[in-house]
Amino acid sequence: MLEGFGNVVVKEVKELIRDRKVLIGIIFVPMIMFAVMGFAVNISMQTVVESAQKVTVGVLDQDGGFYADMMVSFFASVNMTVVEVEASGVDQAIEDLQGSNMTALIFIPLGFSSNITSGQQGTVETYCVFRGAGMAESASASAINAVLEAFKKSLVPPAFLEKVGVFQKSVVKGKVVDVPPDVLFSIMMSQYIGMPLGVIMLTVVAMQIAATAVASEKEEKTLETMLTVPTSRFTILAGKLAGSVIVAAIGALAYMLSFTYYMGSFTAAFPSQAGVDLASLGLTPTMAGYLVLGASLFVALLSSLALAIAISSFAEDVRSAQAMVGYLYILVFVPMIFLMYADVNALPLPLQLALFAIPYTHPMLAARAVFTEEYTLAVLGIVYVTVFTVVVLYVAARIFTTEKILTMRLRLRRGKPRREE
Amino acid sequence: MVWVAEAEGLTKLFGEIRALDGLSFRVEEGEIYGLIGPNGAGKTTALRIVSTLILPTSGAVHVLGRDVVTEATEVRKLLSYLPEEAGVYKNLSGYEYLRFMGKFNSGNRADLKKMIEDAAEISGLGERLKDRTKTYSKGMKRRLLVARALMAKPRLAVLDEPTSGLDVLHSYHVRGIIKQHVQKHGVTVLLSSHNMLEVEHLCNRVALINRGRIVAEGTPTELKSKYKAANLEEVFAEVAGLA
Repeated sequence: MLEGFGNVVVKEVKELIRDRKVLIGIIFVPMIMFAVMGFAVNISMQTVVESAQKVTVGVLDQDGGFYADMMVSFFASVNMTVVEVEASGVDQAIEDLQGSNMTALIFIPLGFSSNITSGQQGTVETYCVFRGAGMAESASASAINAVLEAFKKSLVPPAFLEKVGVFQKSVVKGKVVDVPPDVLFSIMMSQYIGMPLGVIMLTVVAMQIAATAVASEKEEKTLETMLTVPTSRFTILAGKLAGSVIVAAIGALAYMLSFTYYMGSFTAAFPSQAGVDLASLGLTPTMAGYLVLGASLFVALLSSLALAIAISSFAEDVRSAQAMVGYLYILVFVPMIFLMYADVNALPLPLQLALFAIPYTHPMLAARAVFTEEYTLAVLGIVYVTVFTVVVLYVAARIFTTEKILTMRLRLRRGKPRREE
Repeated sequence: MVWVAEAEGLTKLFGEIRALDGLSFRVEEGEIYGLIGPNGAGKTTALRIVSTLILPTSGAVHVLGRDVVTEATEVRKLLSYLPEEAGVYKNLSGYEYLRFMGKFNSGNRADLKKMIEDAAEISGLGERLKDRTKTYSKGMKRRLLVARALMAKPRLAVLDEPTSGLDVLHSYHVRGIIKQHVQKHGVTVLLSSHNMLEVEHLCNRVALINRGRIVAEGTPTELKSKYKAANLEEVFAEVAGLA
């Protein structure tokens, strides 16, 4: 029934293994990609862990009683830096917190100790300040919680454990939100992951489309005819790019619309009774945010398309073109891995520079800027990616205006050049 | 004398391979000039240089006095090139393909309309021009491509193996198209072929090429008489030292 099967398998394996492009694609690229991704995750997590270890807690102690002193000493004993905050109330303390390096405020209200000893509940409030992407803040909040739990368990008699109530709140842009930091972090994280994934999917699809623009002309044997028509070759290139841009722009529009819906679903999931109004917190994008994100996304797409067209000009056919463009995915995935976990400013400088040099880093930064409303970096990114695109286009146009477009081949295999008839 | 195409000492190197080795020829206005020779003789390389696709390593080509290297854009307005292995855009209909290509050569809508009507007549594809080209046979595609190359009435039509891979009927049709078009519109044709018998019936003058050089040139009758041969195939065998 499967007569000749072995013969076909041997031939297939030979064909694939002898094709260097396939070999590089299935062995070399994944090896590099996973090594780089592993490195990225490692560095990012290290950065988060380091910042979480440097927790500085502000304490506003209005109680001053036995259990309040005990709690403050407990925090100091676990290597957390404890700073006593002098303020008339929580609001003023939070204001002071903004300009400091404190990651959280612990508010011990008057009557905390006496309530516990009289058998009532003593309450303590924690306020976690969100400054960056959220992972470091969430890690700090978890650390503070763990200390509070340990403190409760250390109380004698153990029945007092039930008498300490902890209310966790978050502080975003100076405003107190009655939502625990881990819940807020999970909302922000979902949005940060959703955005880069969307950008990546769109970029990958657009690059595949653009890669076929020149290669399919070669494969279908229409390129030679096109290159002899009385129009400049730059016009042909620009036309191809514009065609791909139109398709990509439709994709970008669809993406923006679906992202708006995605964001809306978060707002809907946390109705007002939960106390989370993402819009008033500035956690849903403003019109300016959408514009910056849209522009950043557009120039990044344009640069991807220009790069894909330039690189695929070397390919003889569509399969080779798509394989070549596949190598560029490393550049797309690496920034995503880094930026998903860590704040770019917290990374070592050489790594920051390397990330900034990659055009696909910038839409991710713009996506984050939409939430932080700090647009300087995103706007600079747009300028950089635009310049990058112009340079790539210039190189592509140079290739197009010479005979290289027909004679140039990416030679992965050394051998005698083919003789033309 | 007006030379529509004039090649002087053309040399082309691909790495260590010498594809053309001092090739020189001149094509007169209104004639069908054939470069003939075996596979690998250098015919396609010569036509690609004339058509501004690749650059000569040394030597020069002029089309109606314009240099194909320094005045490539101008030259492209004067000629039309049909590659040997040309394809068509498979998702366009025959008409759409002709309209797309015609727009590069036509000044206005009326010109374009006339051009497409002419191309439809040349191709002889009739109603099938409304169908997407991916449904065409090889012969139909070639007829469409020949029509595309001739529809703009270029001063020089460069046709690389115009009947390559076609059956007898399609080859006959394509040869008829070329002859008719030259007579009717005075177009000059520079073509290549390895089918020497076919060229004998089609070309006014031919150049026999071997290893990048012209080994004999003249009208088919002159060559046959000079080498006392029954056909051009025998002439080629004689001059290439195969006989």
